[in-house]
Amino acid sequence: MVKRAKKDIAFDVVNYILLILIAFITIYPFYYILVISFNSGLDAARGGIYFWPRVFTLDNYRKIISDDKWMNAFGISVFRTVLGTAMSVFFTSMVAYGLSYKKLLFRNGYYRILIFSMYFSGGLIPYYVLLKSLGLLNTVWVYIIPSLLSQFMVLIMISFFAEIPSSLSESAYIDGANDLQIFMKIILPISKPVLATATLFAAVGHWNAWMDSAYYVSNPKLRTMSYLMMEIINKSQAANVGDMQQTYRSATNITTKSLQAAVIIISTIPILVTYPFLQKYFVKGIMLGSVKG
Amino acid sequence: MNSKVASNSKSRSLWSDFKKQAYLQSFVLIGMLFLLIFSYIPMVGIIIAFKNYKISDGVLGFFTSPWVGLKHFTEFFTEIESGMIIRNTFIISVLKIIFTFPIPILFAIMINEVRNVKFKKFIQTASYLPHFISWVVVYGIMFAFLSGDGVLNSVFKTFNLIDKPIPFLTDPKKFWPLVIISDAWKEFGWWSIIFIAAIVGIDQSIFEAAEIDGASRFQKIRYITLPGIRSTINVVLILSLGNLLGGGMSGSNFEQSLLLGNNLNRSASEILQTHVLKAGLVQLRYSYAAAVGLLQSIVSVTMIFGSNALVKKISGTGIY
Repeated sequence: MVKRAKKDIAFDVVNYILLILIAFITIYPFYYILVISFNSGLDAARGGIYFWPRVFTLDNYRKIISDDKWMNAFGISVFRTVLGTAMSVFFTSMVAYGLSYKKLLFRNGYYRILIFSMYFSGGLIPYYVLLKSLGLLNTVWVYIIPSLLSQFMVLIMISFFAEIPSSLSESAYIDGANDLQIFMKIILPISKPVLATATLFAAVGHWNAWMDSAYYVSNPKLRTMSYLMMEIINKSQAANVGDMQQTYRSATNITTKSLQAAVIIISTIPILVTYPFLQKYFVKGIMLGSVKG
Repeated sequence: MNSKVASNSKSRSLWSDFKKQAYLQSFVLIGMLFLLIFSYIPMVGIIIAFKNYKISDGVLGFFTSPWVGLKHFTEFFTEIESGMIIRNTFIISVLKIIFTFPIPILFAIMINEVRNVKFKKFIQTASYLPHFISWVVVYGIMFAFLSGDGVLNSVFKTFNLIDKPIPFLTDPKKFWPLVIISDAWKEFGWWSIIFIAAIVGIDQSIFEAAEIDGASRFQKIRYITLPGIRSTINVVLILSLGNLLGGGMSGSNFEQSLLLGNNLNRSASEILQTHVLKAGLVQLRYSYAAAVGLLQSIVSVTMIFGSNALVKKISGTGIY
């Protein structure tokens, strides 16, 4: 008995140590970037900073805030995230609510059209041609309109709406409400868990997107923050290959690396402060999603 | 005569049923219109792979441009780099499934053995974080850690382990480990959610019975936990194999090769998807790029149905 208890303790100790190590590997990279973002870039280039800023400064952040290009990109990212998410969650839940009605005529046909489009696609080139023909290229709408409907989210929402007792809508019918009113005034307000999941997924997708900004847009005023971030890292990567120690502007203590760190933090913070609070919702969401396939 | 009346009244009642659900029907039909435009029109556009398409012809050019048969396909296969591109696509995909698939399962089992609820919650929450950030941010972090004057190289230098910096980000030999490890790092926590939930769903009395019989922790994991989540493992494996070329569960191949690939490690990083992108949107060879894209789609669709059939045969549970 005692022997077993000892073995148990050993198991726990090893397990806890490994898990702490895993958590460290997950968190430390972000923490390191945070430290660098608050350190003078020139000083950081000397190396040796791991856990605390050595020459504390806010210059990296000041540089970004005073730069029109970054602020414009930040604005574009916020715009597409807020508007794009709101529109896509509303549109997706509307379609899903319609499909969740079991007596809907042609329901199976609609379902097949939806599922088929999840597995087959025309690929990048015909899609690009379509965006061009619709006049969406090089407009801010190319960020918002093509991602209005998420098939995956429709499936998750259908299984959520299907759980809502039909007596709710039936009693509203008797009171003379139509389906639009029922959807807006009864269904949406009680669907907060699934709407929270959908909002999180859509918002993260919008906030992180960079490829549409890289390939569907050429006007520099329409670039998203993720895109600019990609660009600045690529530049310092190229400089790194050429073995050049590059500073952003020789007169300041800011380097491309310290600037990158500040940008990474700015783009990570909104996610960092949101997702832990929505955990219980998205955990359910991903479960449903994976079961439905 | 009679049947005509019957079918007439049937279609009339169908119409009146339809009118009754007019709102719901219009909700769904707007969605279907959206899919028609953004999914189905591009699917029709695949035919440009067999044509000489000019972008100035727009969507109508899908139909009006001249046929050229398999010209673009032979062009791809006779290109010097096609062998390298196909090899990279498959090797990265297969290695990724082999090495990243077991990690969330292992992590879920470890998490499940923790009894301290707060500790458990903290580790789990931390493990989800990388999933939510973009590959661009991960690229930035990797650059900070792995570049010539990055964290790893400076630590190595401090301990005199190296003479000159290790070129993690530019050496073709390091590209495959790079994408596998970074993908595992980003997604292990997220995919563990499914497995943790599956473990929680196992009947607790089985564990208690094993306890009384004197089973050790490892024995319980080996003989209860793992068999208990087998069907979940199968489902996730099918999904991963179905998206093999995209990069398994996380579908990250495209973004990784696009961001972490560069002129120096091209021989290991160029894959079908990046080739389509560059040939199409950079070199403007639309029909050729569509043809290469179609090749990838054919393999993907085969994988989706093939992997499901395979797992069904082995374990008796498919998902379609």
